[in-house]
Amino acid sequence: MSGVVIVGASHAGVQAAVSLRQAGWQERIVLLSAEHDYPYHRPPLSKAFLSGEKDEEQLLLRAPDFYRGQEIELRLGEPALSIDAANRRVRTPSEMLDYDRLILATGSKARTLSVPGADAKGIFTLRSIGDAREIRASMLAAENIVVIGGGFIGLEFASTAIKHGKNVTVVEAQSRLLTRSLPQPIGDFIRDYHAGKGVTFHFGDSIDQFEVSECRVTGVQLSTAGRLPADLVLVGIGGVADTGFAEDLQLETAAGGVNVDPHGLTSAPGVYALGDMAGFHNAYSDTPMRLESVQNAVDQAKSAAAHITGKHAPLVAVPWFWTDQYDLKIQMAGLSKPGSRSILRGDPSSGAFTLLEVVDARLVAAHSVNRAADHMASRRLIAEKPELDLSKIGDLDTPLLKAVVGAN
Amino acid sequence: MDGPVTIRFETSTGEQIEIQARPGISVMEAAIMNNVEGIEAECGGSCICATCHVYCDRIDASLLPDRTAEEDDMLDMVAGERRPTSRLSCQLRVNDKIQGAVFILPEPAF
Repeated sequence: MSGVVIVGASHAGVQAAVSLRQAGWQERIVLLSAEHDYPYHRPPLSKAFLSGEKDEEQLLLRAPDFYRGQEIELRLGEPALSIDAANRRVRTPSEMLDYDRLILATGSKARTLSVPGADAKGIFTLRSIGDAREIRASMLAAENIVVIGGGFIGLEFASTAIKHGKNVTVVEAQSRLLTRSLPQPIGDFIRDYHAGKGVTFHFGDSIDQFEVSECRVTGVQLSTAGRLPADLVLVGIGGVADTGFAEDLQLETAAGGVNVDPHGLTSAPGVYALGDMAGFHNAYSDTPMRLESVQNAVDQAKSAAAHITGKHAPLVAVPWFWTDQYDLKIQMAGLSKPGSRSILRGDPSSGAFTLLEVVDARLVAAHSVNRAADHMASRRLIAEKPELDLSKIGDLDTPLLKAVVGAN
Repeated sequence: MDGPVTIRFETSTGEQIEIQARPGISVMEAAIMNNVEGIEAECGGSCICATCHVYCDRIDASLLPDRTAEEDDMLDMVAGERRPTSRLSCQLRVNDKIQGAVFILPEPAF
């Protein structure tokens, strides 16, 4: 036995190390990180960290001395360079590490734009704390900010930048916001909320080129709406799984990630993949998918740690996700299903409501705006699948957990 | 800047852990910084995972901020028993008012 090597000190990677120790794993754990910073929470990078409400220490997943205390060998600035599956060895810049089990948790990379001028200063993607430091400094000095892509990171950044008094324009290729991840009424609500705070939107438009002066971005040329002045551009057009080692290991892939089973196990013996980079058949979806969320990273890591220590805890968790924008807490539980029936609980104009998605009187997904109780209840209803009393679930006076057939 | 504040965590077996916490951060963050076991804080302080649950039995409730509706809702979902003194430690700030306070940790879930 030569222990576990974890590639990537992401939320999933760190959780796997922690869960292994909690499950009683006594062998060696090496946690390799290409980054130089102690592992940190990523969601605040586009929100509380960028706005200055949280400093770097407050982002840490664990205290710096935690790892030593748990005998987790955290190697900062030491990425895996190659993996030799036949001999179960990982090469790093400083040594060759043997492993008995290998966990890949390298996350995802930001998708970039390939248009003229895209490498100019002042154009960013946001994935790491290094990105966030640069964006923060640039944002404070900026006047005109253009966000490309109306996804979660772009919208969170837009809400932060507006709070700092900047002119913010969001350019979205689709005709609406968040078409991939949310039902239309929620996307439209978010659009209107941003517009009310002063964000300008250009829908159905794309970027022809960036206008650059002395290596710095000065504007964005759109295909139809013309030129937007810009001294900061955030490109938030999604993530691509970082599956760099999948080829070395000849791993099967799924949904753009490394294919895993409910224990996080890949097609290669002893090799697991977790978090953003893992593609899998979720119990709540008919097709394989990747889930880029804290919940999925944590739950997959726990399942893998259990499997490695000889326990059985396959992933069954209901997917959930959240985004904070202004004073809106938007929480999603379950996965949208085409053809589901949408039922509104609460009035969007009140600023607090939940859109429920129902199939055969069972809840499959719930999208809540400032309705944390609905969100939490929904996670249970989606998992336990009781028959809903459709005459009650839209009624705010009935707690959601009571809106089931036979409840009293 | 004000000096550090002493706060304590008590495990379900009665062991006390005393830590020095920086004013302005949350009680959850102070626990994480000091490797207090039992505070997981999976969501990083966004009041959505309910894994930073503490009991404030021995703290004058008037020294703590009122629960928001959101925190109240989340407390219904904590692992372990919800009691009248239950709080999410990510929603409590470290400040002079809680100097010496004792936060009681729920029984471990595993």
